Amino acid sequence: MKRLRFFSVPYLAWMLIFIAVPTLILIMLAFSDYSLYYPSRFEITWVNFQIFSQSYMSKAIIYSFGLSIITTLICFVIGYPVAYYLANLPEKTRKIWLALLIVPLWANMLLRIFAWEKIFTPLSIFTDLSGLSLDLLGTNTGIVIGMVGMYLPFMIFPLFSVLERMDYSLVEAAKDLGATDLNVFFKVIFPMSLGGIVSGVIMTMLPAMTSFVLPARIGLGRINLIGNIIESKFMKEVMGSGGLSINVGSLISLMLMLFSVISFVIITRFDKEGETLI
Amino acid sequence: MKRRKQRILMAKAMGVILTVMTFLILYVPILLILMLSLNDSARGYQWEGFTLKWYAMLFLDDIMKDPIVNTISIAILSTIISTILGTIFAIGIHALEKKRRVRMMVMNNVPVVNPDIVTGISLMIIFSILSFTLGFSTVLIAHVFFSIPYVILNIIPKLKRLDPNLYEAGLDLGCSRIEAVWRVIIPNISTGILTGALMAFTMSIDDFVITYFTSGNEYMNVSTWLYAALAREGRNSFTPVAYAYNTIIFLLTIIIIVFVNTRKERKVRTHEKSTSFTP
Amino acid sequence: MGKKLIELKNISKSFGDLVVLDHFNFYINENEFITLLGPSGCGKTTCLRLIGGFETPDDGEIIFDGKVINDLEPNQREINTCFQKYALFPHLNVFDNIAFGLKLKKLPKTEIVDRVHQTLKLVKLDGFQDRHISTLSGGQQQRVAIARAIVNRPKVLLLDEPLGALDLKLRQEMQYELKEMQRTLGITFVYVTHDQEEALTMSDTIVIMNEGKILQIGTPEDIYNEPKSRFVANFIGESNIFEGIMIEDYLVKFVDREFKCVDKGFHLNEAVDVVIRPEDFDFVPPSKAKIKGIVDSLTFKGVHYEINVMVDGREYTIHTTKYREVGDRVGLSVEPESIHVMRRQRS
Repeated sequence: MKRLRFFSVPYLAWMLIFIAVPTLILIMLAFSDYSLYYPSRFEITWVNFQIFSQSYMSKAIIYSFGLSIITTLICFVIGYPVAYYLANLPEKTRKIWLALLIVPLWANMLLRIFAWEKIFTPLSIFTDLSGLSLDLLGTNTGIVIGMVGMYLPFMIFPLFSVLERMDYSLVEAAKDLGATDLNVFFKVIFPMSLGGIVSGVIMTMLPAMTSFVLPARIGLGRINLIGNIIESKFMKEVMGSGGLSINVGSLISLMLMLFSVISFVIITRFDKEGETLI
Repeated sequence: MKRRKQRILMAKAMGVILTVMTFLILYVPILLILMLSLNDSARGYQWEGFTLKWYAMLFLDDIMKDPIVNTISIAILSTIISTILGTIFAIGIHALEKKRRVRMMVMNNVPVVNPDIVTGISLMIIFSILSFTLGFSTVLIAHVFFSIPYVILNIIPKLKRLDPNLYEAGLDLGCSRIEAVWRVIIPNISTGILTGALMAFTMSIDDFVITYFTSGNEYMNVSTWLYAALAREGRNSFTPVAYAYNTIIFLLTIIIIVFVNTRKERKVRTHEKSTSFTP
Repeated sequence: MGKKLIELKNISKSFGDLVVLDHFNFYINENEFITLLGPSGCGKTTCLRLIGGFETPDDGEIIFDGKVINDLEPNQREINTCFQKYALFPHLNVFDNIAFGLKLKKLPKTEIVDRVHQTLKLVKLDGFQDRHISTLSGGQQQRVAIARAIVNRPKVLLLDEPLGALDLKLRQEMQYELKEMQRTLGITFVYVTHDQEEALTMSDTIVIMNEGKILQIGTPEDIYNEPKSRFVANFIGESNIFEGIMIEDYLVKFVDREFKCVDKGFHLNEAVDVVIRPEDFDFVPPSKAKIKGIVDSLTFKGVHYEINVMVDGREYTIHTTKYREVGDRVGLSVEPESIHVMRRQRS
């Protein structure tokens, strides 16, 4: 099989181009005042870091972290018991329920967000059909509920896969040694599912922190998250504004990247080849 | 003993309740979309009666033709390309020695863990540097880029479960290297290839963020088209044909997955039936 | 017999820093059952893989039927392999597995069917052609693996510890069957194992290897009865090894006593190692014995008792059907023919 190794070489090249190079460019942009429209101007400077002193930026950071942490917590509190329950169902039913969890993810994300908008609008079609009138647009609660609705499966899957694979003879061994049910859970099951927990938390928190459509729509644009800021820096100000928007945007993106790299390193501690990621 | 049984029952009840809650929170929006697609109202503010006209319009009208065609063609093309490439790369990675393999897999997983936004922006940057005009080709490349890692993640576990000498047995019996890959390895990882392809298709057909950054102003898939429509005329207007489209694609994907899964189970069952085991 | 079919000349092979084979030389005759025997890591599997073409040597030549085949791919060599975990194709049934190589050679369909059926009969799996691999037992899978290899009528069959996963009875059965097959088919079998009993049962020739070097080549009887070194004596069969001095031809001194023996050709008073197999000691009344001791332990092994006797602070291992109790005073005797003298090797 050794001779098949060369199959992986083009992939290495591909990944380097599409990951390493853009990252380098982002670094270059973030730490300088380089602009596509004034290519002669290039000076390494910290000026882009000023963005962090802006109140709208710090507000966005606080909201992003805060809301995503709350979402992740809720997803965990709901998700772990659900994953545990599902992992203990008989094998045939297990697959069906798991599939049913994946199914909603195939609906178009924008439409789902839009559906949440309608649900949170008082006296909307949702009211007509269900009798409930919610008024949650523009509120943090609305955003959190929406996010939980989006990301809950991402928490459940890694947990499920880890709990399903667990070796139950370990539970039996613990019981044999005198452990009560509670002991078994906290000393055997929980620690052994740590890999799944880490994956689940990260796969929920990162997207939650960086989403921009959801807060833009459900938050009615009143609440800006990091994602929204990046989007506006790159997309809306790209066309010749002359400011340092791209540089600032790059800096913020790098910050996010750093965060996900750290999370990634944490994941690989528990799962070297990434098998819990799907 | 009684207390333990009580506790277990309570725990199970909790499990059931939370599962029900989970399904509610996941499915209510979906059901709402379904109802909106059957709602006889252009703006969808209120329920105004059943109709199938949006479904009819989906096929007869040109309103969403372009974005839909784009979405589907990109999904199909990127699935085919990323599945083929992903399979080849996975085989290559699997053949590496441990250190290099782990390194490659780490790199492979970067697009999976990276937030959409970061990937989208990185790709946008690279396309500007290479002076590609943003449009069909860049979107295709972008979709292939983020699909390949999922294909690989699906195939590598299957490769691991194969007998370590399988490929060599093929060579030993007369295959050339390519023949051995095609006749010996591929048939035995076919489930992985299939699930990988399905994942690639799903990720592509629904993608918004990455397409948003890499499609430029002209080229649109359904998601970016919806976003533009919303941004354009104020908050709540796009044609309910979109709901019809979504419901159909949704049902289609479910059918494909059910089909693939029952085929798998039928294969396993015929293996077990056709033979009476004598040790 | 007698024609050199395969020759390894000056083969060196390393994996990274680990040198597995270093200037390794040996040859294999046509139509023989030759076994490479040695502990894990001695290089026997590497040797096999080099012959099969799954590894290329860093140095040296592999010669097959007079031609150098270093650069030939496995599919170009007239050699087939039976792998350790069988490597059967899970996506094919028994017939298609066996026919795999024949189909690649594009043989006519009727011939393929004929040959597969013949081979199925040979491995005693008649009627199994439509079965799926997953429904077969270990022993059956083993036979399919062999059938798949020999149906191609190779000149040489390489077997990499094929019987390792089978239970004892089945393993012994298969050993006899493999030997029979080799005789009937007239194919050269190159067998790799770490199990010395297996090697002794099946081989025409045994090659004992350790750390990439050949320690001894010979027939099973030769190696068992005339081990040339401590390692070989210890590896094959059980043995009692004593340090001694060859006083003169036919006379050796060890454990402070002189014994008549049947070896010669050593220097006067050369330092030697003496090997006596446990089954070659006999109990005699202590008063008439040259060696006297006390029984230290007794284990029932079915076929014989294994009795350890302490003599002058040293433990002797005896295999005998005679029963003695722990603590008994016993006398030991040994025939001159059973005393094997080896050159002393500094380890």
